[in-house]
Amino acid sequence: MAAEKTLKLEKNSLHQDNLLRIENLTKIYDGSVKAVDDVSLTVAKGEIFGLLGSSGCGKSTLLRMLAGFEVPTNGKIFLAGEDITNLPPYQRPINMMFQSYALFPHLSVWDNIAFGLRRDGMAKEKIMERVESLLKLVQLGKFAKRKPHQLSGGQQQRVALARSLAKQPKLLLLDEPLGALDKKLRESTQLELVNIIEEVGVTCVLVTHDQEEAMTISSRIAVMSEGSFLQVGTPDEIYETPNSRLIADFIGNVNIFEGVVDEDLPDHVTVKCPECTHYVGHGITGSSGMSVGVAVRPEKILLSKTKPKGKYNWCEGEVTDIAYFGAHTTYHLKLMTGMILKVQQQNRTRNLEGGFTWGDRAFAQWDDLAMIVLTH
Amino acid sequence: MTNTFGRSWMIAVYLFLYIPIITLVVFSFNGSPLVTVWSEFTLKWYGKLAQDREIIAGVILSLKLAFLSGMLSVLFGTFTAFALVRYRFRGHTLLSSMANMPLVMPDVLVGLSLLLMLVSLQRWLGYPERGLLTILLGHAFLGTAYAAVVVVSRLREMDSKLEEAAMDLGCKPFQVFTLVTFPLIVPALVSAFLLTFTLSFDDVVLSAFLSGPGSTTLPLVIFSRARLGLSPSINAVAAVTIAVVSIAVIVSSIYQSRAEKQRMREIAQAYNDGNQ
Repeated sequence: MAAEKTLKLEKNSLHQDNLLRIENLTKIYDGSVKAVDDVSLTVAKGEIFGLLGSSGCGKSTLLRMLAGFEVPTNGKIFLAGEDITNLPPYQRPINMMFQSYALFPHLSVWDNIAFGLRRDGMAKEKIMERVESLLKLVQLGKFAKRKPHQLSGGQQQRVALARSLAKQPKLLLLDEPLGALDKKLRESTQLELVNIIEEVGVTCVLVTHDQEEAMTISSRIAVMSEGSFLQVGTPDEIYETPNSRLIADFIGNVNIFEGVVDEDLPDHVTVKCPECTHYVGHGITGSSGMSVGVAVRPEKILLSKTKPKGKYNWCEGEVTDIAYFGAHTTYHLKLMTGMILKVQQQNRTRNLEGGFTWGDRAFAQWDDLAMIVLTH
Repeated sequence: MTNTFGRSWMIAVYLFLYIPIITLVVFSFNGSPLVTVWSEFTLKWYGKLAQDREIIAGVILSLKLAFLSGMLSVLFGTFTAFALVRYRFRGHTLLSSMANMPLVMPDVLVGLSLLLMLVSLQRWLGYPERGLLTILLGHAFLGTAYAAVVVVSRLREMDSKLEEAAMDLGCKPFQVFTLVTFPLIVPALVSAFLLTFTLSFDDVVLSAFLSGPGSTTLPLVIFSRARLGLSPSINAVAAVTIAVVSIAVIVSSIYQSRAEKQRMREIAQAYNDGNQ
């Protein structure tokens, strides 16, 4: 799946086939509140682009400017080379799937899906054909006559998707597409959603605060905070090479050691921290004497009862907390300096004895390519 | 203990509310021409009613007036409500509280000020003559404020995302209103109409100020007759009105509760289907 996506991405960037281009977009409310602050971005055709951030970071405002519900204070939006910054929503070849679905309660499923087509003055037979094929696509054929309140949450979500795809928009906007569903439904719906979007081949911009949702659905992600992009990249780029402490902390779990660069060589670096000395197996864009953060993801740490060999990349601590998740277990290791190290271990065997328990001394070690040196 | 207390309190309140009405209905079947003394059961007052031209003319005039002023009120009230809820502009707070002013202003003052305005207007323009039109204007004036309150609350609770969705799917602003907003606020428009209809139908104060010769509404007829001494035929008029209103209220509440139950059943059904 992931490989497929990267492949698609490469193909697209090769052709320079940019569908959406945003230039220096800014939205200021009430003269001073910068909801979106000088954001620029290009989205390739066929891409699913995720805007990830906590609430109030400006992602929804950005989406609403794309849809045409908000007028930018500054900047331009181009769709397929055409400047659409000042077009009203009803003239943009863009459709949106709303978080609350916003299905028209007085219309049946069929009429909801046909709504946009009728506004275009499409011929009756053509509308019939299109709606039927969409109903088939989202597997709701037998619910065509029902009203929205007669559908379950998952079915409503599919109607909303079909309605937003009906006019074959050049760009589909998804506002927290799974936000209104309960946890159990989310996983299956998520796969279904991606399958349908890929089948249709529509370019998407997705807004979410859920990093898992962003990572699994999107081919590229922009992490937003206070109106601007902190980092833009593929999900694995953002997870494995975050460009700042903020991103490393926001995406997934992480342990950050604070230290000073000791040795700075092109092929390796050592960083001295109070807890241990890190040996990083690649060069960095820093210099010796610089204070940096060394981030290690919990799943990249190995826990053992015997003292590791060598003098780098390990530390000793006491197990203070154990959270058992079935597939894996998360341990909290209290180091000598008082720092709590989060360690995640796969439960590879049905090892009921010989595991760690509260108060055990344990050694944590990691590979010399497991960490990220953060200068910001 | 508390339960008994609560129940007797409730009975007391309902008796307080309904004893006058029940008395009125009972005495409309009273054979004696003296309103307060019961003699025997009779239907003659109802028969007399059918021949009373003044009352029949009053009923027709009042119905006509109530219908027209209800329509006008809903129309103006909807525009007002729409502007107040959907648009932000300078002086919004001031205007929105001013729209509600007629609700709390004493009717006597409203009637007096309307009368003064219409009289001076007539002096300048020779128009309008006091009569149906002036009463209609007065009722629509008051009704607009009531209708606006009802429609404002409906528009506020309506998901504004629905209107955005309509626009997103290609509706121009006017189409958004006719295709999405209007169908969704119809129930509020109906209740606003019923409210303003009733308001107009039973209004005495404004009508008294604004009526002219030949435009005597039913409440004015009843009022002027009651001043000459109560007559059982007035009881009969009242009883008929009450009967009509009660039937309308009962039918509509039965219909509403059925629709609501049906809706709940369908939601539960959909929820169960979705979980299978």
